[in-house]
Amino acid sequence: MKQDLYRAVYCSRISIHGPPRRIADELRTILKVSRRNNARDDLSGALLFANQCFAQALEGPRAALERCFERIQNDPRHADVTVLEFGPTATREFPKWSMAFAGDPSPEANDPLAFVVFEGAFARAREQAGSAVLGLLHGLVRREEAWALA
Amino acid sequence: MPLASPHAPPRTGETAAITRAGAQSKHKAAANHKAKRSPAPVTGGAREESALRDAIRGLEEGMVVLDPDLRLVLCNQSARRQLGWAGAPPRRGLALARLLARAGALEAAERAMIETRCRALLATAAGAPQPEKLTLGDLSLRLHRLAGFGVAIFLPTGASEGEAALRDPLTGLGNRRAFQAALTAALARPDGEVALILLDLDRFKHVNDSFGHPVGDALLRLVAERLRTSLRAADTLVRLGGDEFAILLPRADGAEALAERLVDLVSRPYLVEGHLANIGASIGIARAPMDAREAGLLLRRADLALYAAKAAGRQQFALFQPEMDARAQARQALETDLRRAVALGQFQLHYQPLVAVPAGNIIGFEALLRWQNPARGMVSPAEFIPLAEEIGLIVPIGEWVLRQACRTAASWSEAVLVAVNVSAVQFTDGARLLRAVDEALASSGLPGARLELEITESVLLRDAAETLAILHALHARGVRIAMDDFGTGYSSLSQLRSFPFDKIKIDRSFIHEVEAQTDGQAVVRAVAALGTSLGITVTVEGVETEAQAAFVAASGGHEMQGYLISRPVPADAVPALLARPHTTPKRQTTG
Repeated sequence: MKQDLYRAVYCSRISIHGPPRRIADELRTILKVSRRNNARDDLSGALLFANQCFAQALEGPRAALERCFERIQNDPRHADVTVLEFGPTATREFPKWSMAFAGDPSPEANDPLAFVVFEGAFARAREQAGSAVLGLLHGLVRREEAWALA
Repeated sequence: MPLASPHAPPRTGETAAITRAGAQSKHKAAANHKAKRSPAPVTGGAREESALRDAIRGLEEGMVVLDPDLRLVLCNQSARRQLGWAGAPPRRGLALARLLARAGALEAAERAMIETRCRALLATAAGAPQPEKLTLGDLSLRLHRLAGFGVAIFLPTGASEGEAALRDPLTGLGNRRAFQAALTAALARPDGEVALILLDLDRFKHVNDSFGHPVGDALLRLVAERLRTSLRAADTLVRLGGDEFAILLPRADGAEALAERLVDLVSRPYLVEGHLANIGASIGIARAPMDAREAGLLLRRADLALYAAKAAGRQQFALFQPEMDARAQARQALETDLRRAVALGQFQLHYQPLVAVPAGNIIGFEALLRWQNPARGMVSPAEFIPLAEEIGLIVPIGEWVLRQACRTAASWSEAVLVAVNVSAVQFTDGARLLRAVDEALASSGLPGARLELEITESVLLRDAAETLAILHALHARGVRIAMDDFGTGYSSLSQLRSFPFDKIKIDRSFIHEVEAQTDGQAVVRAVAALGTSLGITVTVEGVETEAQAAFVAASGGHEMQGYLISRPVPADAVPALLARPHTTPKRQTTG
């Protein structure tokens, strides 16, 4: 099982149109469904939403991860998917989370750090972008975990 | 500020315990077995039994009958054929395990599966003889508990073989035959309204080549699934073969919207068997009845539209347009004529001199291809070279040019250069190109140092390492390499550094601008300075006026070529040009 552990990091742009409330509702639905499916499939990860973009890290057994990614690809609620990183990994970055969430669903929200990372992600240097997004997600999730413990 | 939910549910590591229906204790099975041990006496006597046996033997459906000990009672010919049984028919009383062991169509796991299921079936209560279905690859079996006896295995042929013949085994979609049937049926409906969508994957071959066929196959299954989820129940989706799919919509409207969605969906990245695959999709659409009413024509027109989508840069869709037909016909006619021209030797070479600046002496000639067709007259290279490249004819044509140019140059009174254009397509088979150069030099006796090959920037856009290896191999033969049409393509200066070019030829468009605009002047001056500092000869092409010639001299160009010096002339006019006294090109010579 251990040698079959893979991680994928990708970015995409949201294609849900409507008021912030509607977007927030959709995000809640997305999270609910992904948490349920991921718990079932032994997947963990983190999702960031900012600047109308998603960044997601997904990790777990390869076959389950690939199936999950196919489901995500077939989802019309986003577009312009760019895979930043995909490959085997020794350890999980988000072992405690079926899907941690970081982000503000309102379209006015503008997290400057996320903006810089997203710009990098859609540019050409994919390898750096992959680790930058992963680092960003990790940092955010760690911060939240620390708060939750405090 | 980012929000996070600390209440995400923890991952569960639970594994569902799977209980297999029908698995029962050995004890119970044995008891059950014993109860049914004594078979009912055969009624009707030996003649009736014999007649029944004959009937079963002749059945089209495969049938195997086993007694309660799972020993063979009979196995008809169809079953033997489907199981891959070779040799004489199996003996009565043969154990099922041994029967299956010799069934070449089955794998070990499948044999075990059949035996397990038969035993499970024997163990079930005799009162519920529900047939059990078992699908093993292409084989689909039906297992029956025979009341008061053993087990019968049916291997249906008719329907399932018919179905298999219409199915693509890789994706489970319909195949080309299913598509033909569906298309014919759709066109036969009273309204005859159909939209035919042909979809081809872009860069699929690359995935197959770099990750292997199993990954390619898995990718095709994912593509099929993405397509399937985008369609309505009334739509027909098939895989025509390779990376080609077709979709039939029972309506002419809405095909464009669907095509747009499919291009987007199929072009999204894939994670497959541990690899990241990025492919695209090109789509051609033809609609009945407006584009065609007949299946073959509709298909051809969808194919033309697909071709147009690819020609326009792939990853997009195109609707059939009537002018595509005319274009395809013209192209087809040109192709036929071009193939004939190669066979009949309708090509000629003309030679245009290059002169040194400012001395004016001829340092070489560029060999230029001419095609004189009896019906078309002189066909412009701009018209036929791209087609020749597309259909691969450029390779034999290019080899002829090399041979002919070297032979002609070897006969010249002065040891000047002969320059030959080489297509990027010729670089895809570097070994063949090198062989052609070697043969041309050997058969003509021309020293390699008198041959100059002109390549365009597109050559360098191909596999760089491979291309550079070929260029170095040519250099090793003394052959000079010139960068042609400089400034029109990608014009990356880094390409000039990637290989020690002997010459840069500045495209004619720049010298034409010299008198009107200053941009052209700046480019010619800059490239001349660059060439001088890198030790590369700079040739200016397309010099037509005295003013342009003067500008070339003033800006430091090393050579020039153009109508001012001479038009391209037939081979027999070259000696006269060589005999001409060296002049600064004052006289306007027309060839």
